[in-house]
Amino acid sequence: MTVTDRTITAPEETLALPAGPAIAHRPLGVFTRPQGSEGWRSWLFTVDHKRIGIMYGAAALFFFLVGGAEALFIRLQLATPNGSVIGAGTYNGVFTMHGVTMVFLVIMPMAAAFANYLLPLQVGARDVAFPRLNAFSFWCFLAGGMLLTSSILVGGWFQNAPDGGWFAYAPNTGLLFSPSKGIDFYAVGLQILGIASLVSAINLIVTVLNMRTPGMSFFRMPVLTWMLLITQFLLLFALPVITVALFLLMFDRLWDANFFNVEAGADPLLWQHLFWIFGHPEVYILILPAFGIVSEIIPTFSRKPLFGYHFMVASGIAIGFMGWGVWAHHMFTSGVGPLSVAAFSVSTMFIAVPTGVKILNWLATMYRGRLRFTTPMLYAVGVVSMFTIGGLSGVTHSIAPSDTQQTDTYYIVAHFHYVIFGGALLGLFGGFYYWWPKAFGYKLNEGWGKASFWVMLIGFNFTFGPMHILGLQGMSRRIATYRADEGFALWNMVATISSFVIALGVLMFFWNVYVSTRNWKRAGRPDVGPDPWDARGLEWMTASPVPEHNFDEDIEVDRLDHFWHRKYGKDENGRIVRAAPTSEIAHDGSNTNVHLPSPSYWPIVLGGGILLVGYGIIYNLWLAAAGLVFLVASIYGWILEPADDPDAAGHHDDHGDDHGGDDHGDPDSNGGPSGNGESATADEPAETEEATVG
Amino acid sequence: MSKRLKALVWLTSLLITAGTVVLIVVSIVVTDDHPLSTLSPVGRQGRDIAELINPIFIVAGVVFFLVQGAVLALWWRYRVAGSDSGDGEFGYYDDDEFPEQTHGNNRLEIAWTIVPTVLLAVISVFTLVALFALDDVKASDEDVVVTVIGQQWWWEYQYHLDGNTDSPPDFVTANELVIPVGVDIALDIKSRDVIHSFWIPKLNGKRDAVPGRSHDWVIQADEPGRFRGQCTEFCGLSHGYMKMVAVALPTAEFAQWRDNQITSADIPQEGTPAGDGWATFSQQCANCHVINGVTSAANRGGDPESAPDSWDIYGEFNGPSAGTYTDELVAGAAPNLTHLMTRGTFAGSAFDLYLNAGDHVPYLNLADQATLNRSELEAWIYNAPERKPADADDLRGMPARTGLSPTDIDNVVAFLSTLD
Repeated sequence: MTVTDRTITAPEETLALPAGPAIAHRPLGVFTRPQGSEGWRSWLFTVDHKRIGIMYGAAALFFFLVGGAEALFIRLQLATPNGSVIGAGTYNGVFTMHGVTMVFLVIMPMAAAFANYLLPLQVGARDVAFPRLNAFSFWCFLAGGMLLTSSILVGGWFQNAPDGGWFAYAPNTGLLFSPSKGIDFYAVGLQILGIASLVSAINLIVTVLNMRTPGMSFFRMPVLTWMLLITQFLLLFALPVITVALFLLMFDRLWDANFFNVEAGADPLLWQHLFWIFGHPEVYILILPAFGIVSEIIPTFSRKPLFGYHFMVASGIAIGFMGWGVWAHHMFTSGVGPLSVAAFSVSTMFIAVPTGVKILNWLATMYRGRLRFTTPMLYAVGVVSMFTIGGLSGVTHSIAPSDTQQTDTYYIVAHFHYVIFGGALLGLFGGFYYWWPKAFGYKLNEGWGKASFWVMLIGFNFTFGPMHILGLQGMSRRIATYRADEGFALWNMVATISSFVIALGVLMFFWNVYVSTRNWKRAGRPDVGPDPWDARGLEWMTASPVPEHNFDEDIEVDRLDHFWHRKYGKDENGRIVRAAPTSEIAHDGSNTNVHLPSPSYWPIVLGGGILLVGYGIIYNLWLAAAGLVFLVASIYGWILEPADDPDAAGHHDDHGDDHGGDDHGDPDSNGGPSGNGESATADEPAETEEATVG
Repeated sequence: MSKRLKALVWLTSLLITAGTVVLIVVSIVVTDDHPLSTLSPVGRQGRDIAELINPIFIVAGVVFFLVQGAVLALWWRYRVAGSDSGDGEFGYYDDDEFPEQTHGNNRLEIAWTIVPTVLLAVISVFTLVALFALDDVKASDEDVVVTVIGQQWWWEYQYHLDGNTDSPPDFVTANELVIPVGVDIALDIKSRDVIHSFWIPKLNGKRDAVPGRSHDWVIQADEPGRFRGQCTEFCGLSHGYMKMVAVALPTAEFAQWRDNQITSADIPQEGTPAGDGWATFSQQCANCHVINGVTSAANRGGDPESAPDSWDIYGEFNGPSAGTYTDELVAGAAPNLTHLMTRGTFAGSAFDLYLNAGDHVPYLNLADQATLNRSELEAWIYNAPERKPADADDLRGMPARTGLSPTDIDNVVAFLSTLD
């Protein structure tokens, strides 16, 4: 079945870069680019979006274990009345770090893992727009994560951990009330993580806007690409707000500013507004990638296209816009006045509408489908079911008078765990199972996967379900203990026991990774094939694991779910039949003649510089100054390093001349039929192939 | 048994199980006697809120069952069996059967956009009506207004019997807010340090105490009783131990209580245990604790500037300054103890002052001293941070007094026992 009548072979002369002045290969004699794609060093210097995605995922899973351990300590402390397992001081640090870790170091980087790995693949690109910048995002994230997590250890166990809650309300986070270094770690750490997310957001937005493969118009993009794109825009606009807030907080604490000093006339509600203008879009930043993942998994295992694609995209966009108009629902009891409360109450109610549209479209996709409950499907359907619970309790919060009863109680804790665990995390885990064969070349074990899902789901519901009851019975959040005569003992004990069931489910996931890897290696590393689930997106149209160059040639897309329509067509009776075997459609990764960006030393070095500056701001400004020098020097290194290492083995000098920097434009723009597409990457124009599709 | 029938049986049994669970939960919730429960309101505002939210809970419950039922129904109806190996000829599936490839249905989409919108619009009308009704409460000038001041980690109540918060309060008490039954009592909620939140769940929702701001709130109790509360905005180390109690007394008893509160305490006779206790108290405790008629700025070392100052940084009444009424009434870093023995709890209501005392007993000064929770009180005086975490070094919380001998502490308790 030929799906295109157009080859995208551009005339040879337009493909070669015009010869420019030669740039010295080794300016200052020290700048070369690292070589090779084997060994641990190649991971440190990689600029490959797939490796960066995998590192994001691995780091997020590591921090997930840290945040999970913190959660278990919270539950142990609260298991019985008058609990004394860790004590109030440590408890405040533990619950703060649990929240900060799970939001900024687990869910966000997990979503970044999928965004990095899948976004270029789903739009048919060679890499992201700015590969070195992408590597920098990761190392910067890791620097921020390490700095924040190190606060647990420096100066004694939880002595200098942030202790103001993840929301860090002023003035409790002022130096007078929180004299340890904890809030400094919070402010500086989040600032660094913000840089990482912001850089990554810009990178991915440019990637989606500029680097879609020919024919990939906006409404041919998979829903996951859409949701990730919306997420990046939310990050782009939300992060500057928290950046401002964190600067104010940092200036207050380190240099005696008075932004939140009530005595000097400040209004602490300033912090609340700034934090939640960031904080509520942040909630959608956490959940939208999972919505995207679910929208990929459910059609595959229903053997149907996604129901209401345009409405799914539109509802995602609607959530993205409406998410900016609801922040003050976190402040219904703060004293913002009845008119504000009324406005935000109503706006919050209506954000349930686009979310409901998503749920119903997923159900409609499953309707009359041929449902296969593989592990990814279990997780996806788990999201539909569990997120609905979180969404419904969310609507009850929007009833402002009733929220004055519920806010800051365990009812809220239950709500956002149903959203963030039951929604985002289950979705991301589903994504792990779904794209694992794509990234690593083998599937995770289905038996262990299903067992782990059910254990996790049951543990989850018996941990957070009872918290609804606890909240309505009046148990407040963030209390280190409760009196025996307050009647909270029963459900707290149930929640604590069940939290260890969740932990068991998580351990089963890690065990599954171990067992599946071992079995695959023992079996002689059999090839799982490019498309093990019979899926729909472009990422399945290339070998597994994805070769470094992604696709052997540019793909020209002619409709939504292009890959699926290459595989299946209709016979004369309108019956769906195989049009071509996958092996004929999918690329096998054999094209070795593809120019790729060279690895670079500087992203990780620059990340190290930021780490130094971070510790310096907290402990010693001289250290910060040294870090700054280091940082500026690495920026110069970045600028001055050649585009390729001319000495690298296997280097093919297809540019005619080396050119400086990654970011020169691609003179060859072969727009797709929609006019939206630009070919390949700006960095790596598809120079070597005669891309012919069909 | 046909596949369909089997699915039906499964579905039914699942629904029965779910229904049982829900019934258990509902029965727990309905028969609850939890002291902080929002589900069994005793005040007008709490009841209005419950009447607003309960039908919405039911609507949400219906939607919950519809969606979960749909998930389960789709699961059992459209699930296809097969090997999990993924080695099927057609990708993951073992056959090449495809369902109808529906891409969407605009009418359906519009319907399920409009229906929830209309439903929520209806809910929003009820919400807004309730919201403005709850907000529209103004106490008349003659009514009691209580200025509620949160600080780490206890509550101060300044009673303005004439309703004028600009004038000095008539008396000041701590942690237990005593109100007459059946009357709307206006609260003027403030904070001296960080943000706290005042919440008596059975009477009304919560309202934050924000430093530098003054928030109006109102509570009312239908019947006499003790209604527990909890600070619900994270306020630092001992947030969990920052509790409070609202006590509703019948009108006549409230008047009796009020008349007692206005009176000052007497310095006990020298030579008695209480007298010795007073001597210790004035050295060790009077720097922060006020007892009307007994302590004054002079007792606190004579120099107002020597008094701790971290606690009142944001307060309207800026702590001890010689020659103002605040000297006599408003406690420093610590609760005013003038009528300590007429309270049921101490230390931010973290501990009971009496064991097995009746509901109304302490407030009317009728408590049997034999029921005094002496061991807890003594432990508190000896080493408060050990009983309730505090940054006592930074004057946030009561410092330990481990230098006191058991006799000293006995004497202090003897003195405190006279404060009725």
